[in-house]
Amino acid sequence: MKVTQLLCAAGPVDAVTNQAIICRELYRAWGWSGNDYAPVIAPGMPHGTIKHLHERRPARDEVVVLHYSGWAEGLERAFDGSRPSLLISHNITPSRYFWEHEPVQAVHNEMGLEQLARLIRSASVVAGVSEYNAQQLRALGASDPQVIPILLDSALLGLPAWGTGAPSPTVLFVGRLVPHKRQDLVIRAFARFHARNPEARLVLVGVPLSDGYKGALVELAERLAPGAVEFEDGLSAGQLADRYLSAGVFLCLSEHEGFCIPLLEAMHFGVPVIARDAGAIGEVVGDAGVLVGEDDGVDVVAELLGLVTSDEELRGSLRERGARRLEHYDREAVAAQLRGVIESLGK
Amino acid sequence: MKDPEEALAAARAAAAARADADGASDAGEDWRLDSSVDRGRRLSNWAIIKPELIEVGSTRRFGRPITWIKRALIRLLSQYLNQMGAQESRFNADVAAHVISLEERVRKLEDELKRRSS
Repeated sequence: MKVTQLLCAAGPVDAVTNQAIICRELYRAWGWSGNDYAPVIAPGMPHGTIKHLHERRPARDEVVVLHYSGWAEGLERAFDGSRPSLLISHNITPSRYFWEHEPVQAVHNEMGLEQLARLIRSASVVAGVSEYNAQQLRALGASDPQVIPILLDSALLGLPAWGTGAPSPTVLFVGRLVPHKRQDLVIRAFARFHARNPEARLVLVGVPLSDGYKGALVELAERLAPGAVEFEDGLSAGQLADRYLSAGVFLCLSEHEGFCIPLLEAMHFGVPVIARDAGAIGEVVGDAGVLVGEDDGVDVVAELLGLVTSDEELRGSLRERGARRLEHYDREAVAAQLRGVIESLGK
Repeated sequence: MKDPEEALAAARAAAAARADADGASDAGEDWRLDSSVDRGRRLSNWAIIKPELIEVGSTRRFGRPITWIKRALIRLLSQYLNQMGAQESRFNADVAAHVISLEERVRKLEDELKRRSS
């Protein structure tokens, strides 16, 4: 079978690009051929991993898989319904989060919703990576979207997992520095925890939306918890694993997430999770973390940080629940589901 | 304590008790990121168009010569591109200046309104 994958854009630290690469590895293992294309390729991508969309020559017998993550020029021509096709939506962040800081991104996200609605009409099968995503697809006109979860990265998850579980006052969040991931709230909650635990540290790993946005977060951190917050990006898989292994708690207060892979990565490394029940977060975390409600303030989160970093029994319970939750996202099972859908299209 | 629900309940109780003791709570606190990004300053920064030659490149096969050709073209066309950029920048800067002056007027009017109402 020949499977062509299309992406909206490709980048070296992009989660969707990473998904496409993981899928391609699986296709090769299953004996399937084909290439991956994107209309925009960021510098730093290893040459040849993803080809430019201009290089694509459609084949008669191919199945087309589109990993949709945002507006891109020319996608309608490449994904025109003339071949059996699967559209996997990785969610589009509402534009309201970007108007203030990156208006161009906000415009692209608005255009993305319109483009996604058009592409849905061309797709043989439509899927979201979470039920939350599937709801967005239904709202855009998909009649029966499937849920095909994210395939976890063996490069990261293949590394030795489960730290000692010893309490550590280090709080970790991994995710792009963007308004909807609310690192500002993480900093505020951490600052209150830090006021009572001066040895506590917060590590924020993620590529910033812009220098200006990062500057605002750094300023906030320096004002509320001087010298206690570290910002990092561009880490290798090994370095990222080190950050997880040295963390005492993973804190996610995002307002919008289409999936949030780092939640599962934290569980893999045995890090207890505290997260806000928003977007797809509750669906991904299940009962494996402490889910904070919309009415809970940063004071409650700060108290939880104190509890989770000090209560051995609670830490142990959250670690065990996390390990069980990972079974729900078993790589082999998700791969089999993906294979089943693509094979049904190739018949 | 083993149950996440139990932990959440304990945290809520502790936060409420602390708020009672301190006479302060985060209820009603503005949770938005402080808008320390000065929009006027940002508009001014974006107003001046200055393409970065270093960002011009190609990721295609044989990308290196294509990158070289693209950069050479930009150098060859620099006089034309600079003129275009100058015209666009002049317009953008004027819009930015106008917006900043409007913001300043609104701020003064709001201050005046506050002063009168108090």
